[in-house]
Amino acid sequence: MAASAQAIDRIAAAPAMALLDDAAELARFTRWLPARDGQRTGESSLRIGGMHCAACAGLIEAALRRVDGVVDARVSAAAQSATVQWDATRTRPSALVRAIEQAGYSALPDTAAGARALRLKESRAAVWRLFVAAFCAMQVMMLATPSYISGPGELAPDLKQLLDWGSWLLALPVLLFAAAPFFTGAWRSVRVGRIGMDVPVALGIGVAFLASSGAAFAPGGLFGTEVYFDSLTMFVSFLLGGRYLEMRARHRAAVALEDSVGRLPETAWRECADGSVEAVSVLRLQRGDTVRVAAGQAFAADGVLLRGATRVDESLLSGESVPVDKGVGAALAAGSMNLDAPVVMRVERVGADTRFEAIVALMREARTQRPAMLRSADRWAAPFLWTVLLLAAGAAAVWSVIDPSRAVWVAVSVLIVTCPCALSLAVPSALLSATAAMARRGVLLRRLEAIDGLARMDTLFIDKTGTLTQKESGGVQMIRVDDGAHWSEATLRGRAASLAAWSTHPVARALAADRAGDATAWRDVRELPGQGLEARDPDGTRWQLGRCAAATLDERGLSSIAVDAWLSRDGQPLAGFRFAESLRADAAAAVAALQRDGVRVALLSGDTPARVERIGRLLGLSDCRGGLAPDAKLAAVRAAQARGERVAMIGDGINDAPVLAQADTSLAMGEGAQIARAQADGVLVSNALHDVVRARALARRSLRVMRQNLVWAAAYNAACVPLALIGWLPPWAAGLGMATSSLVVVLNSLRLAR
Amino acid sequence: MDILYLLIPLSTVLVLGIIGVFGWALHGGQFDDLEQHGAQILQADAGSVDPCQGP
Repeated sequence: MAASAQAIDRIAAAPAMALLDDAAELARFTRWLPARDGQRTGESSLRIGGMHCAACAGLIEAALRRVDGVVDARVSAAAQSATVQWDATRTRPSALVRAIEQAGYSALPDTAAGARALRLKESRAAVWRLFVAAFCAMQVMMLATPSYISGPGELAPDLKQLLDWGSWLLALPVLLFAAAPFFTGAWRSVRVGRIGMDVPVALGIGVAFLASSGAAFAPGGLFGTEVYFDSLTMFVSFLLGGRYLEMRARHRAAVALEDSVGRLPETAWRECADGSVEAVSVLRLQRGDTVRVAAGQAFAADGVLLRGATRVDESLLSGESVPVDKGVGAALAAGSMNLDAPVVMRVERVGADTRFEAIVALMREARTQRPAMLRSADRWAAPFLWTVLLLAAGAAAVWSVIDPSRAVWVAVSVLIVTCPCALSLAVPSALLSATAAMARRGVLLRRLEAIDGLARMDTLFIDKTGTLTQKESGGVQMIRVDDGAHWSEATLRGRAASLAAWSTHPVARALAADRAGDATAWRDVRELPGQGLEARDPDGTRWQLGRCAAATLDERGLSSIAVDAWLSRDGQPLAGFRFAESLRADAAAAVAALQRDGVRVALLSGDTPARVERIGRLLGLSDCRGGLAPDAKLAAVRAAQARGERVAMIGDGINDAPVLAQADTSLAMGEGAQIARAQADGVLVSNALHDVVRARALARRSLRVMRQNLVWAAAYNAACVPLALIGWLPPWAAGLGMATSSLVVVLNSLRLAR
Repeated sequence: MDILYLLIPLSTVLVLGIIGVFGWALHGGQFDDLEQHGAQILQADAGSVDPCQGP
């Protein structure tokens, strides 16, 4: 079962794999090393999937080195990537990928090598700052110890002076280097006239350093004799420790996103002069090429529609949510989605000229968009920070009347203790580590809000074909209902396969994968969601693949025959195709687990009611609705939402796309149509329904963790501010408390990532 | 206790020196991947053994 699904995938991936060797694709992940003795050596970056531990790296390196022509191979377990140097005269990248796959891992061209190098740089810089701050803090602490433990008069004044100077020298790199991000951050927010989290922090560090320097070099002067270099350095190192953990969480999430973007080359189907079709890399497309685009696919280039008519979803480009009708001569934009019918287009602009870059930017924006919970936290940040500054100034003013020698320290304590790091980390740290954990378990979330939706859903609608079930590709059964005189069996099968190649529907894909299609030059190909394909052959005869009108079937006495697709000519069915359909291996267990969890599971399918009933009985579902058109599915979801239920939807096909957009939370199958994946909040990469159950459990835990974080951070601030105001909290304790509260929040969130 | 007047400045300079050494190691990439090199010993064909240590 799983094997047959993989077989389909492999058929689909075969042209893409060959395209890996195309020079244009190669440039995306390979650089050419300076030639030595006439050899051309390429250095390719590959992303490795399926590595469990560091020992896997050696196995993959060994497998790569066995390939003839590989000069050198290095695999990094931490980065899950390989760098391979290979001799262009003796091997090709596709051979490298195959070698890795034979070793039991997966490999994809790594186009994100640049981003990873950037992350490595950022991570090194963070460790470096953290080390400088923490190591200096330890030494400053040592130099400060004598003045803490000595009795009055035990420490000679000149020795104390020497110790203070030493502390000052060691605090200098902390202030000038390690704490630099806080000062630049504060400066940036002050310059644009907004108040940020860095402002009180920078103010606190700066004031504490100046006052302590005054006390160290002019003892008994304006700032007294007490130095607080130990509190200062410790505060900075704890703060950097919190930021380091935050950065790690961010990087992990970024890696998960990159995994989802890493992909085989995008294939375009170019029509040659003789009418045949070849698969080429989209990078190879040139102005003037004629390209076929199946329904459910994205347009690879800007161009003009040559043949056919369809509706196009340009929402990614224009924000227009209603699909746009396109006829012959209409302009098509790269990255927009072909909804209805397969069409032929002429390429006008390719590569950087297209609006593709704009789409990529939009996608990034969609990915980094911040959930509503975060935004409300932002709204409170500015008033909160102003209150902090006013409180600190007020405390300093009051204390300068009561006890001028303590005024500076009370103000510094207030600034440090109220640093809202914990509050601002509470929600994002939990969401990020939950997203990363889900990505590792095979659920890629595009919107962070989906975590909230997954945890709270009451009703789950599941599509049947392709989601709960999968088609067996082996052995398509054909039932002939024509007179048997005009058409040979091979002709009918070939005709059906060539027509099916125009669609990405699971049934059509299985039909097309079953055998090679004949060379019929189809015209006016249209795909009607829920109905099937319709096209004209060169003679102008209308052929259909998919549903057949119920009246016609009744008339011919065929309505009792259950098939997946009819091949009809001029409305008269010639043959029916039937596939063995089987439930996905984990479907029953996953549905049962969700029902135990209190989720109402319902089937929504466009398939015949009888078959939907059968699958529903197998799964023990009472609510199974079959024979639904896309708008009927949409109505069912809307009705549930009107009853106040929080609705989630899992689907895979073009006809599910509107429903996926309507549902509160939506997941698409990884092997589903591109448009379904684009509409959904998340993608089940491994197509395993059990991932939904696990994702829901994780989402519930993340909500709990988020609540804990918020309560903790708020309670901490509420308790410590009064203590600092009345002068019971010295700056070092304030720094420790602040950093501990941030660390508690981050560590609590990191529990989710396990 | 006069030696303290020498040792305290000395220790401060030593600390700065140690930070410099750590910075060199960090930027040389020694901390980029802490697990992988430990696992190399588990591989059968991990390369030649140091002949000086052979039996």
